[in-house]
Amino acid sequence: MPALLEIRGLSAGLRGRRSVTPVVSDVDLDVQAGEILGVVGESGCGKSTLAAAIMRLLVPPQVLQSGSMNFRLADGSYDLAQLPARELRQLRWRQLSYIPQGSMNSLNPVLRVERQMTDTLLQHGLTKAEAHKRSVAALELVNLEPKILESYPHELSGGMRQRVIIAAAVSMRPALIVADELTTALDVVTQRQILQELAAIRDELGATIILITHDMGVVAQIADRVAVMYAGKIAELGTVNGIFEAPLHPYSQGLIGSIPRESGQRVEGLPGEAPSPWKYPGGCRFHPRCPEVFAPCNERIPALLPQKPERRVACHLYDAEVAADA
Amino acid sequence: MPDLLTVENLRQLFGGRNPTQAVDDVSFRLPAEPAIVSLVGESGSGKSTIARIILGLLKPTAGRVLYQGVDILTPDRKWNRRFRSEVQAVFQDPYSVYNPVYKAERVLKLVIRKFGLAKTKADAQEQMEEALRAVDLRPEEVLDRHPHQLSGGQRQRLMLARVYLMRPRLIVADEPVSMIDAGMRASFLNILGDFRDRHGISTLFITHDLSTAMYLGGEIIVLYQGRIMEQGETQTVMRSPLHPYAQLLISSIPTPDPRRRWREDLSAAPLAEISAIVADRANRHRCLFADRCPQVMDRCWEARPALLAPKDPGASHARREVACYLYD
Repeated sequence: MPALLEIRGLSAGLRGRRSVTPVVSDVDLDVQAGEILGVVGESGCGKSTLAAAIMRLLVPPQVLQSGSMNFRLADGSYDLAQLPARELRQLRWRQLSYIPQGSMNSLNPVLRVERQMTDTLLQHGLTKAEAHKRSVAALELVNLEPKILESYPHELSGGMRQRVIIAAAVSMRPALIVADELTTALDVVTQRQILQELAAIRDELGATIILITHDMGVVAQIADRVAVMYAGKIAELGTVNGIFEAPLHPYSQGLIGSIPRESGQRVEGLPGEAPSPWKYPGGCRFHPRCPEVFAPCNERIPALLPQKPERRVACHLYDAEVAADA
Repeated sequence: MPDLLTVENLRQLFGGRNPTQAVDDVSFRLPAEPAIVSLVGESGSGKSTIARIILGLLKPTAGRVLYQGVDILTPDRKWNRRFRSEVQAVFQDPYSVYNPVYKAERVLKLVIRKFGLAKTKADAQEQMEEALRAVDLRPEEVLDRHPHQLSGGQRQRLMLARVYLMRPRLIVADEPVSMIDAGMRASFLNILGDFRDRHGISTLFITHDLSTAMYLGGEIIVLYQGRIMEQGETQTVMRSPLHPYAQLLISSIPTPDPRRRWREDLSAAPLAEISAIVADRANRHRCLFADRCPQVMDRCWEARPALLAPKDPGASHARREVACYLYD
């Protein structure tokens, strides 16, 4: 089955006076219809830039440099990277929804929830009555009662505000939802409820979800597949079960190995620090921190190659051609 | 020997006519021997308020805090100075505690100067380097840098180096790892363990993240709406929590293992927050978890359950206590 979203060679960066600093470099990624794809990485790895790039919501000095993003819908395909702003406007919210990081704090404090939820719906041509009906239905998906529509944001708890944001994002029943650090500021019980609601929304609407997070636990609990990002590139891509059981990339191994679990089982953090985009090293960007670095790593950029079933890894260790050279 | 820290019937009200009870009759102790005690709870559970009271930053509405048997609000300058050097704080945000204008070495130099820790320049340099080694930082990596050139993990460890210079007896750490990347959390927590084992420094570790408390071990105190629901040895409480709230909290941890996913689906469960808002906030003469509790009984609405050692001998354990009628 062709992917719902097919990203090829996507690069985005920060425009400086003379050059563009790469933040996301040459990302290839297929997002399958109906899946929850987790995108994980440390802060500064480019995961939020990737999310904004997919939405074409990069803000200067961020720029989309190259690549294609083929978004397949029943009525045809759209290259999100090339689509003119007017057509993009039609797709957003209807087919493509975005929940940016911290958006639960972006509700307007002087407007009731209803006004803020129906605003977009009215823009998309719905009547007031339809917009109200849709909002009520969307709130139901996140366990909120219709009376919430009458509330002001300050009357709601953090978890309820985040649910309002999710309800707004799914009110047009979009095909793809990109959620950036959806539950980061919430308590564990609320986090669990919201993530389980998100999974239920996926089942009910048949939506596809890209979940951007720094939390390996969240990915393990709720995602179907996971893309591990490091320094603007995808290091490894595979099923959640596969990657947690047997991570192949030394970075994924380090990331999973450094999770504090039981006391008495001492784990060490990853040595060194993730580089900032201004200092991305040549070759494999992980090579200065890699415990298994060898000859080609500081020169050749590893490609994201298929390994065992349902797995792709960007590491020379698993590249037969490189191994033959070395 | 008196306890290192004794918290007695602490109570904190905020707001005037219709006050919020942020801390509601909380008592616990840290032993004289080096120990790590985690204070866990959701936002609004009162954990940071307790930290501020212990540090002397907030005067409690009622109750008191004893440090080695002496009330921390004792108006004795000499004693206060000792308290200030023996009890050290590490806060959540590794970005806002630094003055961006100065190099990293200043936070260390300032402590050495203010507390007269070194006689000569060479001695000061040596102490700084030793402190940095104790927190796994290389002096050349940090001393000459400005805060913005350091990562969150490095900055937070630099705070620990500063604390180490003072050789305190107690560190009060309020959410110290919540803003550090996952890959660096373990190394920060390891340092707290080393401080206890090698340098005899105790830590009161305040967090909403139960997995970090689990990793640290020691003892755990579970707070809910300003009250202690359960306390005991961390391993035991995490493995077999007794209080229904502790059970809900611990079962909701996103375990980083896809084979151990959440079993029960809470997506259709009644919303805790709504019931909490609807419930009579002023009525605290009850179990505060009653409105969310799956095992609620009539008694739970009538009076506040006391924090007691559980009657069931199988569940009992040294210093294990739970505030729930199920075990009374």
